[in-house]
Amino acid sequence: MELLKKYPKLFQWLFLLIVFFALCFAIDVPETYKFIRGQAEFIKDPNQSTYILFGKEVRYYAFDNFWRLPPLLGWLPIWINDGLFFLLNEWMPMEFWDSATQEYKTRPLVLQISRNITAFMTFLIELIREILLGGVETIVAFTSWNFVSAYPWAKLPGLPWTIVAAGAAILAYKLSGKGLAIFAALVMIYISVFGQWKPSMQTLSFILVAAPLSFIFGLSLGVMAYKSKRVEKALYPILLVMQTMPQYAVLVPAMVLFGIGDHAAVIITMVVAIPPMILLTLIGLRGVSPEVIEAGKMSGCSNWQLLTEVLIPTARRDILIGVNQVIMVCFSMAVISAFIGAKGLGWNLLLALNQLNIGLALEAGLCISLIAILLDKMSLAWANKQTDYFGNLTFYQRYKNTIFFGGAVLIGAILAIFGSFFFKEGFNYLYEVPHNKGISTADFWNKGVDWIFDTFFVYIKAFNTWLITEVLQPMRALYLRMPAVATLVLVVGAGYIIGGIRSAFTVGGLTLFIALSPWWDRALVTTYMATFGVIISCTIGFIVGTLCQQNKYTTNFMLGVCDIFQTFPSFVYLIPVMMLFGVTDTSVLIAVIVYATIPATRYTIEGLRSVPAALHDAATMSGVTKLQRLFKIEFPLAFPHMMLGLNQTIVFALFMVIIGAFIGTEDLGQYILKALSDKAGGGKGLVLGICVAFIGLIFDNLIRTWVEKRKKHLGID
Amino acid sequence: MLEKKYFNKLKELSEPTRELFGLVSITVFVILSFAILNIYWGGGDELIRKMKIEEKRIAEEKKLNEVISSLPSGIVVFYDGSKHYKLSKEQYEAVCKITKLIPQRAIMAAHFLNHKAYELYTINGNKIDDTFVKWDKDKNKCFAGYTVSGSNVGVNETANVYGEVLSFLSTGIDTRVYFIKNF
Repeated sequence: MELLKKYPKLFQWLFLLIVFFALCFAIDVPETYKFIRGQAEFIKDPNQSTYILFGKEVRYYAFDNFWRLPPLLGWLPIWINDGLFFLLNEWMPMEFWDSATQEYKTRPLVLQISRNITAFMTFLIELIREILLGGVETIVAFTSWNFVSAYPWAKLPGLPWTIVAAGAAILAYKLSGKGLAIFAALVMIYISVFGQWKPSMQTLSFILVAAPLSFIFGLSLGVMAYKSKRVEKALYPILLVMQTMPQYAVLVPAMVLFGIGDHAAVIITMVVAIPPMILLTLIGLRGVSPEVIEAGKMSGCSNWQLLTEVLIPTARRDILIGVNQVIMVCFSMAVISAFIGAKGLGWNLLLALNQLNIGLALEAGLCISLIAILLDKMSLAWANKQTDYFGNLTFYQRYKNTIFFGGAVLIGAILAIFGSFFFKEGFNYLYEVPHNKGISTADFWNKGVDWIFDTFFVYIKAFNTWLITEVLQPMRALYLRMPAVATLVLVVGAGYIIGGIRSAFTVGGLTLFIALSPWWDRALVTTYMATFGVIISCTIGFIVGTLCQQNKYTTNFMLGVCDIFQTFPSFVYLIPVMMLFGVTDTSVLIAVIVYATIPATRYTIEGLRSVPAALHDAATMSGVTKLQRLFKIEFPLAFPHMMLGLNQTIVFALFMVIIGAFIGTEDLGQYILKALSDKAGGGKGLVLGICVAFIGLIFDNLIRTWVEKRKKHLGID
Repeated sequence: MLEKKYFNKLKELSEPTRELFGLVSITVFVILSFAILNIYWGGGDELIRKMKIEEKRIAEEKKLNEVISSLPSGIVVFYDGSKHYKLSKEQYEAVCKITKLIPQRAIMAAHFLNHKAYELYTINGNKIDDTFVKWDKDKNKCFAGYTVSGSNVGVNETANVYGEVLSFLSTGIDTRVYFIKNF
């Protein structure tokens, strides 16, 4: 009894583990289980049982429920699909004017709305593309093709690459100074010279529509949530799920509503980019001190003035970091949305990966990464820039950047005209380097890949075989061997020990949702892959982070590396691993490890940095060694922060595992990918996405609850 | 009164004991919920029994499919024919078991010796009622047959055609009866 009082948690964990393993050993794997798992989920097998709920028939294999629960939520994807179909094809038919046929037509309201949104988005994208690349689509939207044929001057040329490059460099100089300006110029020159101008501008045009719209919606919803508790409460579950929802999963229902193409990509990107904007707006507005608000009110501000003149300017930094996040999400979506036909670098990258042309993929991937890094640095510089309200500047000082840009436009235009006379073979390289006419290193990289394969094939294959047969397959088998009841007892018990009854029910509910869906086994496979990645990532991240934190320079270096790596769109990570390991599970797992190591390293460094300097001094004065200080003081105090890193690592790992479906895993991601090409895949994709989000949320809930308790215990809250 | 007494007793317990008690309760609750669910939705043994049969059937089908894929495309026979591939005894049995189709060519050939069946067949638009291909365990032979029925000058008649199958047509995807020896 004394022991129980002394180590209560230890006994609770011990009890839980004993029950878990007892259940695992007590419940046998059904004899034909492997065979049944081999059958597809939705085949019409007469041996399946059926039930009807809400008018939908669900077929399933009736196992012993202790082993696997029946898919009682199997009706949900069917119901969502039917709901979408009903909304699009039957709900509220109304008369709408069709300008093409000049008569009224009856159409369902949602279909008409989705068509109008589609037309608006397409118009915006075309408009920006015409500015950057030239064209007549937007002019035609206002006039007609006949008008354009009659007046050739209406065919506006796009901006020459020299002007865009100069504009980017001048903007970077204004925001951050020489360093960023040089980087911006180099990036733009690289894009042009390597013949990636057109796809880059296509990607940029789609981001230039998605990012501002996401910003406007995110900011508005953030302000509304700040003003009204009800709105905040309504938004909270959506924000929570969207944080851990794989971006793939959003593609499917959006595709049903808006079809395929750039416009659908913009809408999906907005869906994914708005939640971080809302969160950061909310954090920024909450951070405004009451004194500032009071001062605003005392000055006689109206509600609108208080918002626009006091609250938003004070929360400017957080809001601009939100803009930064929006841009980053837009870039990661640039590749993913290529799955539904968005043009640009993402499309080229996807095509190259499909053809296993690593060289081309690398070129496109590098372009996306460079533009992402550039925009990341520029938006962060914008967030951190302080406006000099009191500077007494001359006209030149005030407008020098505008003057320089004007000069650049003039010089660029002259160069482009000059180029049209100089280059005789039909391509004006001073206007735009065509896609296949620039320098290409694809052959070099492809030969490099061949060389790596020829030279290291034996070793790579041996490592691959060892990893798959000795580590991955046994681990996978262990996960699949867990009976549903044992898993639920473990999760609910862990929730209870960590956060009490409330936490137990929350994580239990989330697990139950997955267990009652038709994809429990796939969820276990996803969890196994993510777990493997997280274990390795955390080990590397904690060690590297701890080692780097010992020195100021290595700390800054490592944080810089993390910054750059975090900017890369997740898809880019697949390129080097496919180069080395081909199309295997190992590739996915290595990509998961590389991607998920970033937050593990970053949070370890930041956690160790957050330990107060006074404690360091106190420890040194007490005569402890460096190692003792690390293990007795720094680690215990930094551990809650490091655990938040673990949380992020899990989310990153889950995202990458889902993206890894592109290579060919057999987890939830693969089913999401399949749903993309399924006519009735909207519901399936959404429910699968929710399942992945819930896996993330289970860990999120457990870790956050533990961290809060631990922080309170340590008095560092 | 009794409830209050027990409630007070519970309250008197130390925090760690109460927590452990809570954990035990929640574990029991989860397991019991599964047990209740099992009553309504569980199908354990029944499913295994059914699926064992299914597994066996699929395994057999797979085995037979392997036999088919090992056969050359074209006519395969179970007699000493110099022109065609000769089936072994095992192959003959396997092919017989997996064959389901009796094509029109085989039917027309069988009709040479069955005039009644031929008449019914042509009068009623080349319709066949039932077909079968089965392995006769006792005779160790493959038999195939079909029934033709219909109106023959106002009279409803039926003709059964039945005979030994010694040659099949292998298409690479499936096998079909090539010739029915109905004499």
